[in-house]
Amino acid sequence: MPIGEVIESSTRQFAAEVYRDQVPPAFGSWVQVVQPDGRTIYGLVSHVEMGSVEPGRRPMALGRSPDELRREMPQVLELIRTTFRAQVLAYEDTDGRIHQTLPPYPAGIHAFVEACPPEIVQRLGRPYDFLRTLVQSPDAAVPVDDLLVAVLRQIYTGHGDPEREQALIEAGRVLSRLLRDDHERLQAILRRVV
Amino acid sequence: MLDFVRLQQQLRGFAAYQQQQRDLLQEKLQAALDAWQQVGDVEALLEEVERARPSWLVARPLGERLQERVRVPSRPAQVTVVAADGSQIFPDRHVEPPCFLLNVGRVAFQLGTHEPVRLESIPRFCFRQEEVQALLDDRLESISLEIVSALRDEFELEALLELARAARRAERPLVALLDGTLIRWMIRRLHQRELEEQFICRYVALLEQFRRERIPVASYISMPGGAEVVNLLRVARGECTPEPPSLSLDGLADRLLFSRLLRSGERSGLFLSGSHIQRAYAEPHRIVCTYLAVPGPYGQAEIARIEFPHWVAEEDGWVDLVCAVLLKECEKGNGYPMVLAEAHEQAVIRAPEREAFYELIGRQLWRSGMPVGQSRKQVSKRRPVL
Repeated sequence: MPIGEVIESSTRQFAAEVYRDQVPPAFGSWVQVVQPDGRTIYGLVSHVEMGSVEPGRRPMALGRSPDELRREMPQVLELIRTTFRAQVLAYEDTDGRIHQTLPPYPAGIHAFVEACPPEIVQRLGRPYDFLRTLVQSPDAAVPVDDLLVAVLRQIYTGHGDPEREQALIEAGRVLSRLLRDDHERLQAILRRVV
Repeated sequence: MLDFVRLQQQLRGFAAYQQQQRDLLQEKLQAALDAWQQVGDVEALLEEVERARPSWLVARPLGERLQERVRVPSRPAQVTVVAADGSQIFPDRHVEPPCFLLNVGRVAFQLGTHEPVRLESIPRFCFRQEEVQALLDDRLESISLEIVSALRDEFELEALLELARAARRAERPLVALLDGTLIRWMIRRLHQRELEEQFICRYVALLEQFRRERIPVASYISMPGGAEVVNLLRVARGECTPEPPSLSLDGLADRLLFSRLLRSGERSGLFLSGSHIQRAYAEPHRIVCTYLAVPGPYGQAEIARIEFPHWVAEEDGWVDLVCAVLLKECEKGNGYPMVLAEAHEQAVIRAPEREAFYELIGRQLWRSGMPVGQSRKQVSKRRPVL
């Protein structure tokens, strides 16, 4: 079930608009775009935003309750949309193999975006090369450590009981190396995971 | 480019002149208010109008008392309101082949419910030789702006009717609204008698559809410029007699008069418009108006003119319903009906869209191996070089 549609796209990231009847993806969750060529592009939601549909119209304080707005000024809700940005970190080729690197082509504009099930973290696991892309080429507009917190938390919740500790430790080790043993930063990230 | 140094010299006298004009207007307003209070017998005044045959347009009061003021009741909790507004891309003399675009924005609100709102715009691209040929102005050999405007007005009313039918809910009152006047006086500027008659005929036929389907239709005029009621007072003051009073009320608009007579939430009595084109409208569709004091920003009331066909005025409760809806809409829209503002938003064609429209025409023609004719002047205007 698609949750939205790609409206801007590059090999590094894409932006999508969420359909009105769908729940927006959570910050730090995985989304996927199935391409016509059979590849699937995986992106990590790095930014979720709500705003006006029309650039010339800005939302203003109206001093009315949500119920009153729905009864008397429903268009102000209609003209609000939710968009999100996802950093492209992996793709699956036509043979079903996952590559934790950028895809050869960007996701198509108007392509459907779906939310990945929580188990996706089991496929996007070791050797956690996507963490390298995330740490070394972060989206400048996003606090990368908060995104890492969300990623680690998903690795934890996306695994079954005996493996989850192990998966989290492995990802933590990769992260530790990437942060060049900046223990304070690593600690601050891990503290917020659990 | 504007030369502000040169403009500055002309601006100096502006404020002083305006001050002078305002004082004169105040004097006229006072005289109008005096005359207003003195009118007793409306019948006698109408006879006087008949005798004097003034050259100005004179409103015809429909009530027994001229001074009637009505407090508008509160709006029904649930009501369906549909509204339409239009815009266009006029035919461009510098672009071949001749074509133009009409765009109607229309909205349907089920107010007081949680039912979804409908917001949409409908373009109509007119380019066929047959349809364009019939509209060519004989003198100019081009399609005049008036014709495009008349077609747009017709398209608005048509689109409004269609939406009103679709949005109607059983047991729920329905109001259909337009912006501007329902009096199509612009049509008389076409200078093509036959075409004018066709336009009026089709317009009145659409109003007749509204009547048959019992959909009250009305239009809203913000800051109306008319003076038909003031003109009635001019007759009462003897301005048509051989010895008119030294001060004429000429130049005083009805809205100024009513801004002193009505409090926010009140409307005037009903007046049949004296516009000449009205004679071409079949009797039940002659346009009637009322002036309504609507709440504006900063607690100031503004006078709006509400127009509707005579059959709306004759149905018990419809004028009240229309005015109640408009009052509440103005409250939400900061002095202008929210539904009409939304219809306008849907209708408006912005500059980049206009550019894209010409771009698309060009591409379509280019694909079929035909060049789009554009005068060199137009090219230079679009892409000025340094």
